[in-house]
Amino acid sequence: MTLKSNPALQFAFICPLSSGLHARPASHFAEVANQFAAECTLTNQRNGLVGNGKSVLGIIAADIRHSDPCSVFLSGPDAQAAHTALRRFVEYTLAKCDVPLADTSVSSRSNSIPRSLQAANVTCISGIPVSHGIAQGKVVFLRTMALSSTVNSAVAGDLQQELERIKEAVSAVRHRIGERLKYAITPIGAAVLQADLAMASDVLLLEKLTEQVLGGKSAAQAVIKTGEFFTDLLGHSENDYIRQRSIDIEEICTQLLEEVCGASATPTVELKEPSVLVAETIGPQQLLELNRRCLQALVLEHSGVTSHGAILARSLGIPTLAGVRNARQMLTAGREVVVDATRGFVVPIVAPVVQRFYDRERKTLERRKNARYRSAEKSARTADGKTVEIAANASSGEELGLAFANGADGVGLFRTEMIFLGREKAPSEEEQFAIYSEATRLAGGKPVIFRTFDIGGDKKVPYLALPHEENPFLGCRGARLYADHGDLLQSQLRAILRASAEGPVQIMAPMITSVEEIVQFKAAIAQAKQHLAQNGVEFQSDIKTGIMVEVPSVAFILDQLCAEVDFFSIGTNDLSQYFFAADRGNSKLAALFSVRHPGFLQFLAQIVRKIHKHQRWVGMCGEMAANRRNLPLLIGLGLDEISVPASEVNDIKQAISQFQSAACVRLLDRAVACGTTIDVDNLVATQQLQPEPLISEDLVLLESTSQSKEEVIQEMVDAFYISNRTQDRQLLEEALWAREALYSTGLGYGFATPHCKTGAISADSISVLRLNDPVHWGSVDGEQVKMVVLLALRDSEVANTHMQVFSSLARKLINEDFRQHLLSVRNANEVTTYLSEQLGFPLGTTNEAPTAAKRNSPSMHGLIRDR
Amino acid sequence: MKIVAVTACPTGIAHTYMAAARLEKIAKNFGHEIKVETQGAMGIENKLTDGDISQAQIAIFAVDIEVEGRERFNGVKVMQVPLQEALKNPEDIFHKIQH
Repeated sequence: MTLKSNPALQFAFICPLSSGLHARPASHFAEVANQFAAECTLTNQRNGLVGNGKSVLGIIAADIRHSDPCSVFLSGPDAQAAHTALRRFVEYTLAKCDVPLADTSVSSRSNSIPRSLQAANVTCISGIPVSHGIAQGKVVFLRTMALSSTVNSAVAGDLQQELERIKEAVSAVRHRIGERLKYAITPIGAAVLQADLAMASDVLLLEKLTEQVLGGKSAAQAVIKTGEFFTDLLGHSENDYIRQRSIDIEEICTQLLEEVCGASATPTVELKEPSVLVAETIGPQQLLELNRRCLQALVLEHSGVTSHGAILARSLGIPTLAGVRNARQMLTAGREVVVDATRGFVVPIVAPVVQRFYDRERKTLERRKNARYRSAEKSARTADGKTVEIAANASSGEELGLAFANGADGVGLFRTEMIFLGREKAPSEEEQFAIYSEATRLAGGKPVIFRTFDIGGDKKVPYLALPHEENPFLGCRGARLYADHGDLLQSQLRAILRASAEGPVQIMAPMITSVEEIVQFKAAIAQAKQHLAQNGVEFQSDIKTGIMVEVPSVAFILDQLCAEVDFFSIGTNDLSQYFFAADRGNSKLAALFSVRHPGFLQFLAQIVRKIHKHQRWVGMCGEMAANRRNLPLLIGLGLDEISVPASEVNDIKQAISQFQSAACVRLLDRAVACGTTIDVDNLVATQQLQPEPLISEDLVLLESTSQSKEEVIQEMVDAFYISNRTQDRQLLEEALWAREALYSTGLGYGFATPHCKTGAISADSISVLRLNDPVHWGSVDGEQVKMVVLLALRDSEVANTHMQVFSSLARKLINEDFRQHLLSVRNANEVTTYLSEQLGFPLGTTNEAPTAAKRNSPSMHGLIRDR
Repeated sequence: MKIVAVTACPTGIAHTYMAAARLEKIAKNFGHEIKVETQGAMGIENKLTDGDISQAQIAIFAVDIEVEGRERFNGVKVMQVPLQEALKNPEDIFHKIQH
């Protein structure tokens, strides 16, 4: 950095964002710059491009990519203040202000077309899956946004009048987006709309529009010219991410045009039946306009997986394919098509074999969902029977639907501050009450822990006019703000208390460091209760109160705090950053910063022990809880509850059953005695998991109506998927077919034994299928196959103990009595019982797990030889 | 007749063991004494000793891959067939041996 003498100041930075300084982070940058009168120029030293730092468009036009060296020039009366604010922003916030996108990695498998469709020569038009899912509907075309074609050559009127029209149009479009933002239903959707809002408010946009009008253009022409200017500018960026933004600016200009002309210029369609929308591109606002009930899928010709339309579609769960070349020529309006946005293609003609495939696929997905739902219903229990509550973290009512569908035992952390962010004034008590009571109702009697607003640190709220912090994470944040914002706290506490009349609600305070703070917090609750009681409003009078354990000082006054509160929740993100004195956002410190550091584990163990000594409840929210790798350590800690993102709940619940709680306690004891984090990692990696049984009834299919070898294999692979033994059906299927390619596994006598060794499965498995009508398999004796016994072995480095069962099964299949018995079984249970008896392996039981000695029974070898 | 045999297939999960079981069964029908070594996913099992091999009149290799430790069979008459033969027509193998 070079500091010049007044009035111009400068500093340099390296762009830390992996996607570059694109629209969303740029809008944050411009927001800071616009708080000052000082002029701000941003220069990309790599390419020499210069942009106005107060303009989102200016910033993104500078084409700043990851690691580009940049410099910021400030000049004007308050340049010093602007310099300080922007430097702080760049150092502390910039790297964190990009909303991480949902997984944008797109499958690039060359051949994802299912075998049975390939065998039937079904035409498939490939595309890039940007939002997974499968849908069927009639093709509807959406016209492309084309600015210039929408308006005739309106004659420019009075200069002032035209300028006024521009101003009004900009403010109307801002208002439009602002309204949509109010109902933004996902965080991603809100971020996209916020970027749109910033673009519509952009100084450079307004400058360009004004310049055009001053040059004699009508308001409408000015919008068209400006739109063309920016789409051209952004469209030539080397950064794909930024090129995509030209779609957004085009959409905003189209909306401006609508305001100016008073007519609808945005191409829209009214969907009346299940439809597949086919377009070159789609803007986010255009997408929100569509009838979501009828919109089944999106097929876009444009290949941008990071266009805001695509991002929004993904956040709304609309199956979407991008980069479908010539889709508009290859598809016919009104014709029924299937969009497989999971495998990445459109099927333009739904032949019977296609319908058959997708009917089965729908059933499979439905059954998998139901199976997961059923397993979600059960409480999480370790193999030796210890129950752990698995709750969900949430910041909006919408996330709760997923949380409870996944079997959450409650909401361990409802982050209420999200309701306070990204708006111009604080939410009212009524607005908050609506959100909290809805969440309470959705929880259907399960506990919801509302954490009162935790603002400050990395979460900024303009309307609170918080003082500038030299070090925000160590500044005025969380409960430390409550004294100065008593009214805001009161309205929130009243809203939460009122919601408590509808279900078991609990209140939790963030950033507590001392007994005094919790005493004050409880006094505030008492005040809110009194207010409600005086007004005859119902609430739960003995509402439970707890605190976050996120400041180390708390760990040393737990005896005192246990007398004050009912429960604790360990927030590992902040607790670890304060424990290690390391900024968790600083990637250079990543090595210092591990929750598996033996000292940190020791610290956690002390906290839990102490709280349990006082018979108080303790849970954990924060990233440590969500990482499956930490699970045995968390079980070892003896936490009462683990709170994780909604999407993880089911997986964590299932994973818990693979651990023995007693073994986890021993593991933790050994972990805290380790010297280094790496030692802990190695120790955790050797933890023995409770294996799943080799066969379960859901892998037995006795009434198969499959009509070909392809369909049989697919049906069996689907059974693996439904029972959650594979997450990657294609990989498993390919492994089986790779073996078939050597020579058919049809062994004669109407039997086939497809088999493979693959990393695509979570457990060694046997699956059995009996066909109603035999199919060709290319067997050695030329006979058709009636019975299929599939063996799948996990591809792992460790010696496989199940191989003995598999070889034993292979030998038994040569035995006629064994085959006859399999052919004559009446139900799935007979199959699993018979195989387990004949081959000497245990069937799974829910709680009572076989001991290691039993699993590696010495008599097993004898059994194999005993034919 | 005393016979030794080796079975081996590429994945070593199923066919190695099916072929072994098949050869053992058919040999018995023919009144032969047989010992079958399997070379599968569990490595070599029921390993043929030098004694087994030297006493045998013939060695049957029902294999799709190279036999491990082939040199052990130097000096013994070997009949090699694709593994599938042991499943398809095991009787044929034994008929051929008798001639």
